[in-house]
Amino acid sequence: MNLKLAKTILSIAVSNAKEMERVCSIALVNENGWLVALYRMDGAPIPTAEIARDKAWTAAVFRRPSSEVSAYGDPRAQGFGLNAQNWNDRLTIIPGGIPIWDGDLMIGAIGCCGATPEEDVFLCQKIIEEIRSGQDNLNFKEVG
Amino acid sequence: MKELTLELALKMIEAAERWARDIAESPCSIAVVDKAGAVIAVHRMDGAGMATTDIAIEKAWTAVAFKMPTLMGSRWLDPRNIGKLLGDHAMGMIGRGKGRLCFIPGGIPVTDEENEVIGAIGCSGVPSGVGDISDTSVSQAGVTALYE
Repeated sequence: MNLKLAKTILSIAVSNAKEMERVCSIALVNENGWLVALYRMDGAPIPTAEIARDKAWTAAVFRRPSSEVSAYGDPRAQGFGLNAQNWNDRLTIIPGGIPIWDGDLMIGAIGCCGATPEEDVFLCQKIIEEIRSGQDNLNFKEVG
Repeated sequence: MKELTLELALKMIEAAERWARDIAESPCSIAVVDKAGAVIAVHRMDGAGMATTDIAIEKAWTAVAFKMPTLMGSRWLDPRNIGKLLGDHAMGMIGRGKGRLCFIPGGIPVTDEENEVIGAIGCSGVPSGVGDISDTSVSQAGVTALYE
């Protein structure tokens, strides 16, 4: 994940959100969960910025959509005890954080917050689909 | 210009990034917050330290909260100035604002035509603090771009 790629993704995200007539915050983190870029659209509520970042962080470090992380909270599941860990105050199981894969390599994660959880997930997926379709001019390789 | 929009924030960040890349020659993070101190946009340039995003946000937040550049606040905390500027209680600033207060030079408030603070820009990641090669000058480049 580099800033150029993050900016491209975020501009796609903002135009998509405008199309859906939603104001939201969108966060991009790298493969280790560190913030690379974050936009809060005009009119989006203040906490959405931090929640979007938390969602992206969760998706990146667990390498799965933030909504699926809640599976670890099931007492019957292996690995129960999620809530007892110190998660740097960032762990969230609100849907809306999705990792971005380039083949087998996870290059980062995106988090959206501002609309309903379903819309957040839809927006994330739409953005990822769009960057996949335009992959030729994005040059994922230079992310390395 | 009554309030900072995402568009204006990005304009500032782009200009600050250019300064950081071409003149300061060190990758850094740049954040813009609105008049409530809430973050509007953050960029971390390639190669900048991972923690610099948070520090840039905190610097911008502090600049809004005190309506002055964090450079001024850092003067209060400079031990050499104790007893000269604010009596000897300036050290009490440390740790205020639920730990968000950050008096490291690099945050600059943005004002409108009536001199009301409408937001701030913060930069973190430039190792030197001298002249053109400092967090403050990177932020200043962003502020200047806003008024062009």
